[in-house]
Amino acid sequence: MEGSEYIVEMKHITKRFPRIVANNDVSLSIKKGEIYALLGENGAGKSTIMSVLFGMYEPDEGEIYIRGEKVNITSPRQATKLGIGMVHQHFKLVSNYTVAENIILGSEPQNKLCGIIPHVDIKKANADIAALSEQYGLKVDPTSVISEVNVSTQQRVEILKMLYRDAEILIFDEPTAVLTPQEIEYLLEIIRGLRANGKTVIIITHKLEEIKAIADRCAILNHGRLIDVKDVKETSTSEMARLMVGREVSFTVDKTEAQPGGTVLKVENLTVCNELGLEAVKDVSFEIRSGEIFALAGVSGNGQNELADAIAGIKPVKKGRVLLNSRDITGMTIRERIEDGMAYIPEDRQKVGLVMGYSLKDNLAIKNYYNARFSNHKIIKEEAFEEHGDRLINAYDIRSSEGNKTIVRAMSGGNQQKAMIAREIDMNGKLIIFMQPTRGLDVGAISNVHKSIIAERDRGAAVLLISLELDEVMNCADTIGVIFDGRINKIAKASELSVNEVGEYMMGVSATGVSAKGGDAE
Amino acid sequence: MKKYMVKLLGGEKHQMLRISLFAIVVSLIFGVVVLLIIGNNPFASYLNLLQGSGLAPKRSYAGRKNMFTDFMNLLDALTPMIFASLAVTVALKGGLFNIGVSGMMLAAGFAATVTVGYSSLFAGAAKPLVLIIGIISGALVGALIGWLKYRFNINEVVSSIMLNYILMYVFTFFINSYYVDPVSRQSTNINDAARLTIVDFKAFGLKFDIPLAFPLAIIVAILIRFIMDKTTIGFEIKAVGLSRTAANYAGISIGRNIMLTMILSGALAGLAGVTYFCGYVGSIQPGVVPSMGFNAIAVALLGCSEPIGCIYASFLITIISNGSIYMSSQQGVEIEIADLITAFILIFSACSEYIRMYVSKAAMELNTAGEKKGGAQA
Repeated sequence: MEGSEYIVEMKHITKRFPRIVANNDVSLSIKKGEIYALLGENGAGKSTIMSVLFGMYEPDEGEIYIRGEKVNITSPRQATKLGIGMVHQHFKLVSNYTVAENIILGSEPQNKLCGIIPHVDIKKANADIAALSEQYGLKVDPTSVISEVNVSTQQRVEILKMLYRDAEILIFDEPTAVLTPQEIEYLLEIIRGLRANGKTVIIITHKLEEIKAIADRCAILNHGRLIDVKDVKETSTSEMARLMVGREVSFTVDKTEAQPGGTVLKVENLTVCNELGLEAVKDVSFEIRSGEIFALAGVSGNGQNELADAIAGIKPVKKGRVLLNSRDITGMTIRERIEDGMAYIPEDRQKVGLVMGYSLKDNLAIKNYYNARFSNHKIIKEEAFEEHGDRLINAYDIRSSEGNKTIVRAMSGGNQQKAMIAREIDMNGKLIIFMQPTRGLDVGAISNVHKSIIAERDRGAAVLLISLELDEVMNCADTIGVIFDGRINKIAKASELSVNEVGEYMMGVSATGVSAKGGDAE
Repeated sequence: MKKYMVKLLGGEKHQMLRISLFAIVVSLIFGVVVLLIIGNNPFASYLNLLQGSGLAPKRSYAGRKNMFTDFMNLLDALTPMIFASLAVTVALKGGLFNIGVSGMMLAAGFAATVTVGYSSLFAGAAKPLVLIIGIISGALVGALIGWLKYRFNINEVVSSIMLNYILMYVFTFFINSYYVDPVSRQSTNINDAARLTIVDFKAFGLKFDIPLAFPLAIIVAILIRFIMDKTTIGFEIKAVGLSRTAANYAGISIGRNIMLTMILSGALAGLAGVTYFCGYVGSIQPGVVPSMGFNAIAVALLGCSEPIGCIYASFLITIISNGSIYMSSQQGVEIEIADLITAFILIFSACSEYIRMYVSKAAMELNTAGEKKGGAQA
């Protein structure tokens, strides 16, 4: 191999964790100035191999060459020195610092006050960053505070952080997971711009369309092994999907026509405030019948969280009513709603959906531990917990190292999600709220979740599916509602809306004369 | 080195216990070094600790006293320590940091002293009444802290520290104004009928103290363990302690459980208060809060925040503190050396999480090395 052609060469990398081999003899060669995609399911080892490159893990075996020279990367700091930068899936920003302060953190330009007292030259930093954002087309205001800017801006700050440190090799870990379709388009444009500026980009993803749209080459990983490296232009998405999953996958969801029954959930003129006391949900009304999937589409942060939390009783309602089976539940406790047949899969599984320090069996029983089935005069029936846990573990293929006794924190994100979905579906609820149910799942798991959503509908449950993934909305919904700025600005049968129309409503384009209040499902 | 560490401390079974023991042994070694530096015989000093606590025979005893007398005295000091560390443990399980054990002890001790301690009730009624008043007054202080937390979101650490001082000064005022013994400058000793320790009990030609509540402490520890591990009450408290947002989402009432945790913790601290002030000591010293309430935090941590662990940890720390007086008189070692050893133990037990991480990392490295060898053969 000619050292000059490849900027990064990873040879025979093996990385083991207890009970699992995350990377097994993986060799990657990345050319200078290309966009190189890493494709694979959850747990295929994509993030691990990049963490090795970024110095967060040391490989057990194998060698790394950067610009033809053998290196031993032991820390992210060293990786930075070698011109490697990484944007993590969860951003690492100080939320009450400004954009510029976050970017310069750790390598602040200094100035001496009166020639003696050193201080951070924030003016220079602001100017530098403005210049940098101009050069790469990354729109940011250096002086705005991180907590007040949206997710896609935060991501641009992360990118600028790398560029500010003169990174030449830029690693993106699932960069589009948190973005809207329009934001994704913008990001892809940025990435193309980076390539035009001579940067090398490595992008970790399991979204095939994105790879097709920007990548030059694509390495496919499965179960820690490198399966193949493909030229993206010459490979179809279905071919890539087959290699990634190891079997054929269908992208469409099989479902029959909905057979809706009576109204299960009725939301009337609901207004909900967020943590800051501002109205996040404004005068929203809609209803869901049994046997119907109502999908709420919308860009992240338009009130979806607050709406779902208010229906579930976690957030207080400012105005309006929520009716479940014609019963006003607005003032009821969370437990009363659960007992009335409301199941809820929240967006944040680690903070809300699961008690991370509890075992799997405890988490699977956490909504009904007090029932006669699980306890007798407040004394816990241990066997019942275990039986229930094992049954769900088998039925939903939840994988963990120590079965029902595994502490949930030690499980992978995908399996945590499966556990949560298993618990909620097992409740046989009358209403099931799915909030971003497939976030962070791989293609195989996604299609399983979609199947269970439809199975729940066919069982007769009313389903509220809140998703940022437009494809998911289009595939699963019987009725689509679009939320923008806290208002539902369109409700229509799924068959009557095209993807583009939904996308427009998501951006708040309601010029077609739809009242902000939202109509009935015609 | 790594290999031995892994062998000693690795694996899942009783790992926390082994790490605690490891912390203790290392601390004792540190103690040896300190004692050598200041020019004392460390082994004689350690023997003195055991002798002072009635776990090893002294060379000579005063009239009507022997090892058993010292051991009963140890149990007398141990009883409130077990209750106090249980109070901290319960709060920790519920995700709360109860620094107010001292204040709660004082409240319970004071309430029981002035109501029952100076009354002429007969023993059969007075003693249970002291316990009940202790439980109630401790629980009330706990309830106040819990209510402030849940209703106004006031951090329990802040409110309990403040309450320690408020209670201390209020009771100091009353003791100095109404109940002070002019000679000892403490509150007048309570009547023997109300006291939870039988002082100078004479039998078998010996004179010793009997801590009546000691069996109760053991029973309560087992009971707390049962509540925490086997009942839905404990299931809820622990869920709230681990993640308030997740527990709330699952329909568990946060406010109710915060109140319950603090009431339970307060009741245990109340038991510590009455067994200390109306048992071990017999009077209340004005102007100070009992340091046992703070030591209990450390003891609870050393006991891995487990009820049964608290018994062992209390035992160890009480041996050191109780035996230190004898050590100091025999060796001329400053009494503070005992505190120093205790402090070492606490520092190391506070590092237990780090030790656990170190061991599991080392185990992993060894494993991989082993696998490599195996792989080469295959």
